[in-house]
Amino acid sequence: MKVVEINDVYKTYHDTAVEVKAVNGVSLAFEKGDFAVIVGPSGSGKTTLLNLIGGLDQPTGGEIIVAGHRLSELKPSELIDFRLDHIGFVFQSYNLIPVLTASENVDFIMNLQKWPKQKRKARTDEMLESVGLSDRHDSRPSQLSGGQQQRVAVARALAPRPEFILADEPTANLDTKAAESLLDIMEKLNREEHMTFIFSTHDARVVKRARRVITLEDGRIISDEHTNHNS
Amino acid sequence: MLISIAWKNVWRNRTRSFTVISAVTVGVFAGVFAMAAINSSVEQRIDAAVNEELAHIQVNNKDFRSSGDIQNCLADPGHVVSVLENTQGVTDVTGRILVRGIASTATGSNGVEIAGIDIEKEQKMFTLSKRLIPGTGSYFGAETKFNSVFIGEKLAKELNVIRYILSTESFQSLESEKVPSSVIEKLRPLEGERFTTEKKFSKAFTVLLTSKEQKKYGMKIKEAAWSYREGSRIILTFLDMDKQQTGAAFRICGIFRTNNDFFESKSVFVPEDELRNLTGMENGTYHRIIARLENNDLTDKVTPVVREELPGLEVLNWKEIQTDLAMIVDYITEIYGMFMVLILAALAFGIVNTMLMAVLERTRELGMLKAIGMNKRRIFTMVMLESIFLSIVGGFAGMAVSGVVIGITGHTGINLVKYSEGMEAIGYSAHLYPTIGADFFIMLTVLIVLTGIISAIYPARKALQLNPVEALRGE
Repeated sequence: MKVVEINDVYKTYHDTAVEVKAVNGVSLAFEKGDFAVIVGPSGSGKTTLLNLIGGLDQPTGGEIIVAGHRLSELKPSELIDFRLDHIGFVFQSYNLIPVLTASENVDFIMNLQKWPKQKRKARTDEMLESVGLSDRHDSRPSQLSGGQQQRVAVARALAPRPEFILADEPTANLDTKAAESLLDIMEKLNREEHMTFIFSTHDARVVKRARRVITLEDGRIISDEHTNHNS
Repeated sequence: MLISIAWKNVWRNRTRSFTVISAVTVGVFAGVFAMAAINSSVEQRIDAAVNEELAHIQVNNKDFRSSGDIQNCLADPGHVVSVLENTQGVTDVTGRILVRGIASTATGSNGVEIAGIDIEKEQKMFTLSKRLIPGTGSYFGAETKFNSVFIGEKLAKELNVIRYILSTESFQSLESEKVPSSVIEKLRPLEGERFTTEKKFSKAFTVLLTSKEQKKYGMKIKEAAWSYREGSRIILTFLDMDKQQTGAAFRICGIFRTNNDFFESKSVFVPEDELRNLTGMENGTYHRIIARLENNDLTDKVTPVVREELPGLEVLNWKEIQTDLAMIVDYITEIYGMFMVLILAALAFGIVNTMLMAVLERTRELGMLKAIGMNKRRIFTMVMLESIFLSIVGGFAGMAVSGVVIGITGHTGINLVKYSEGMEAIGYSAHLYPTIGADFFIMLTVLIVLTGIISAIYPARKALQLNPVEALRGE
């Protein structure tokens, strides 16, 4: 089942009279349960592609279909609600809400989605446990290490059971141990919850674990390989 | 959830929040306290006007006030009294005989309005008897073979009934008032000397003292030297019912002191019967019937009722007689409104600044919230709530401080004696007892919340304009 379908998508920026084709005729599809990375050198268009898939940015050409919806047909306000209901985001700099505790951060999106309180609480506990932070419910982000914060961010993104997770360089700020542990958790959630993960990364540690590696260069796909990593 | 996040956000940067909250606190306190002080001043003035000078409603012959003619009596005072007594809200009614005349002594004279009054009724209706200066006699207390008159301190000074003498008692009182002996010694050369006016006395003692001493002890020295010989007499001259000039010597039975110099210098009170005898006015005739109401607020309700019942007569309430008073109440309300708007506007700029900083330094966070699906309405509400919380915390703190300070000063009073001459000349007390109503606090709360909302609009719009991609990139 296709979760994301990208058909001949372009994204062109007009910066100081120079035309930059950040994404240049990309066609791709992601299946339910994918654990895919988009790799490529800086400026190859990884983050732009991720932003286009996440509906944070609009393509200048082509079509993106997410969970059966054509993103181009959604109004800006509908796009925000669409992201809330269908996509989970994990950012490079964790981006937790600093005034909320770990459990409140995990609870946040479910709360916006108006889940009943009991259900939210159960899911928050479950998610914090699966990312190995069941003892840090009441810790503020400032009281957690980078790795722990990113685990909370993953728990927050996954808690409302989105169609898929978009993770933009999730391990970039983490040391090896924290990165490995985060990848373990994501692999486990991919396996157990059948959650689709789409990463953009430079990180060889992430590439090594991926079951599908898409390589971008100058906004074009130069390879799309399925590897044999067991999950 | 938004409420909780907004509240927590307020306390993210404690120093900044405390600064703006303190600014709101001080601003609100300044506004409330100034209002309470002005309010008390006006209320005291109204109280004095109603309780000492005018009562609530006055009924005259139509031509009396403009002509002042002694013959313009009320045609049927009995009817006026019965109408007033039967009007709901009226508590007391009395009649006055009023003649214009001149009060004089050997060394001074002044134009006055002589009121012939029913002493018992007036004592019940007015508080003027309580304004008697101790040591000057009584409110028509002593039986004498002379006519009695009750006059104001200002008139007493103008008629030179008051003397300034630095007697042995004066020096003792200065010592007890903690005036330094060096100053007292400087005043010794004036001991026993009589000064007929305050001006002459001031001139004499200021030569002996430094300007600093004059400033510090001048009032106390004047107060100590102030002396009045009980039972001084003045001559009142006026026209009788036949328009013939008449007059008589009156013994001053007591001197009153109010906060209104004009009233003090222009009003003299004598027993009704004495004035009736001298003017030849018949028993039961009056120039004016005056009435007191249960409270000031009934004034506007009762006046038209009385007016309708008494066609052909001039029915006036205290606001209409002292138009300046009514005008000042309106004027102060308006000035105060502007004052409060200015304070709140200044606070609004402070809050806008703080909120703008809060929004701009949280660009990435707000971008993230937009990215993960927090819609514009929620972001707008969150920023709005933060601003409202800031205003409300500061506003309530300001109101609490004001409440305490008004509570204390309302009890102890604020002494503005330095400016007393200017204030009392226009009838305002130099002692303020700040007071303010609960309705004012409710109105202020609404205004503060409104300020919070208005101040948040610009920063909240800024937050909405953030593009999540750019906001997240700004790392």
